[in-house]
Amino acid sequence: MRSVIKLTAAIIVCSTTATFADSNKGIKMPYIEFPMKPGKGMYSTKGKCNMCHSWGYTINQGPQSKAFWRKKVIKMIEVFHAPIKNEDIEEVVAYLYANYGNGEED
Amino acid sequence: MQRRDFFKQTLTLAGGAVVGTTFSEASQQVETLHPVDDRKVSDIAFPQKRPLITYSDRPPLLESPREVFTSPITPNDLFFVRWHMPMIPTYISKNRFTLHIHGAVERELKLSLKSLQTEFEQVELTAVLQCGGNSRTAFKPTAGGIQWGIGAMGCARWKGVRLKDVLAKAGLTKDARWIGFNGLEKAVYAETDNFVRALELEKLSDNIILAYEMNGEDLPYLNGYPLRLIIPGTYSDSWIKMISNIKVTKEKMRLHFMEHAYRIPDNECECETPDNLTQKTKPIEKMNVNSVIGYPVSGIKVKQGAELIVRGVAFDGGEGIAKVEVSTDGGTTWQEAKLDKDEAGRYAYRAFTHPITPKQGGTLSIMCRATNTKGETQPFPHEIKWNRGGYKYNGIDEVTVKVVV
Repeated sequence: MRSVIKLTAAIIVCSTTATFADSNKGIKMPYIEFPMKPGKGMYSTKGKCNMCHSWGYTINQGPQSKAFWRKKVIKMIEVFHAPIKNEDIEEVVAYLYANYGNGEED
Repeated sequence: MQRRDFFKQTLTLAGGAVVGTTFSEASQQVETLHPVDDRKVSDIAFPQKRPLITYSDRPPLLESPREVFTSPITPNDLFFVRWHMPMIPTYISKNRFTLHIHGAVERELKLSLKSLQTEFEQVELTAVLQCGGNSRTAFKPTAGGIQWGIGAMGCARWKGVRLKDVLAKAGLTKDARWIGFNGLEKAVYAETDNFVRALELEKLSDNIILAYEMNGEDLPYLNGYPLRLIIPGTYSDSWIKMISNIKVTKEKMRLHFMEHAYRIPDNECECETPDNLTQKTKPIEKMNVNSVIGYPVSGIKVKQGAELIVRGVAFDGGEGIAKVEVSTDGGTTWQEAKLDKDEAGRYAYRAFTHPITPKQGGTLSIMCRATNTKGETQPFPHEIKWNRGGYKYNGIDEVTVKVVV
């Protein structure tokens, strides 16, 4: 029994030295819920925006104008290839503006 | 989860604070105020971090709370975090990681961490890392971008190798002009451009390093493990994390994140109005002079007649801090604070202390203002002019405490 333990210990030592002392095991990222304000277009917006990034990333742009939100949605499509169809843009913009707007059209 | 717990958790997230803000018709009035200063750290800690003010988990966006700014070095687990792309490797093998150097070079290189640590001169320097949009919440109307308070900054001792030495090993071709950098972060869709930043070769200096160590330890993953670019004196938009690729080019590359992000109006005041945005813009680059109070924090109670030591940090883009002053009468009179020894170099924080003894009960305002060796100083918040990106805020910092009898 003792020799088995010794052998096991030797194997552990060998295998750790073989990987050149890389003690890092990586990280596990937490999931954090950023609640969305309920409203018309919420589910559609959730599917389109949150598949790539957190809702926190969206709402931390601060309350913004309708034009700002429209520009952001178009940037997501053009630069980041977000799968948002042209006919769906206004629904997302309307939800963002109604719930995270600053009262300004432009 | 209990409803009450859920509510509590929401409140601890910075996002909740922003959602809860109501805006009146007057929101379009152009003005600059003190940045938001009432956000609490989240009750969820990220890996290798203590709980920080949390704006997003994907990508992670974490701000240091004010208390951190009493120390000339920011501990790794309190250091702020900002990523652009939502997909970040959560495991990188130290042994298999390579840095690829290619393009307008004589020899294409793939360097391991071991070769960086053994084949080049090892250098160390202390430098402040600050997001260009730090304190963005000061700007009204709200400027687009993460709505940071004062804590999108930190100062660390970095160890690594000179970028110049690595490029010399690859051998730049005569017509090389630009150096492009990117790291391992990825967008969800593969067709999306990487977060690539570029540096003009003429701006290459001895101080620009590829760092594999931060305050004597491996970099935390969220700060760019295992290697990141350090460009002292500049805002951190080009301090690429998990840097894996360096491409040298003859021509300036067309890059989304160079042409559209981290730019300010190219005019004397670096300002504009929402109704009249400037056409010509320039990169934010060199940091302006700044200082913040780490202690006391706003809202605490202090005792009348008892000595209180105000603590904070000051820095600039590398000219060096000449003085920090403290005011307890709303900025009418100023007293010079004591600066720590200038030992960590001109890109580091200078910590300051200043004892005060509150004479009367009630609300007490404490302000700090730094001046650099060129005589540049911090304006009052309302004197700072607006820009659409909400960049380069450096208003006089202020905390208010309650003096109890």
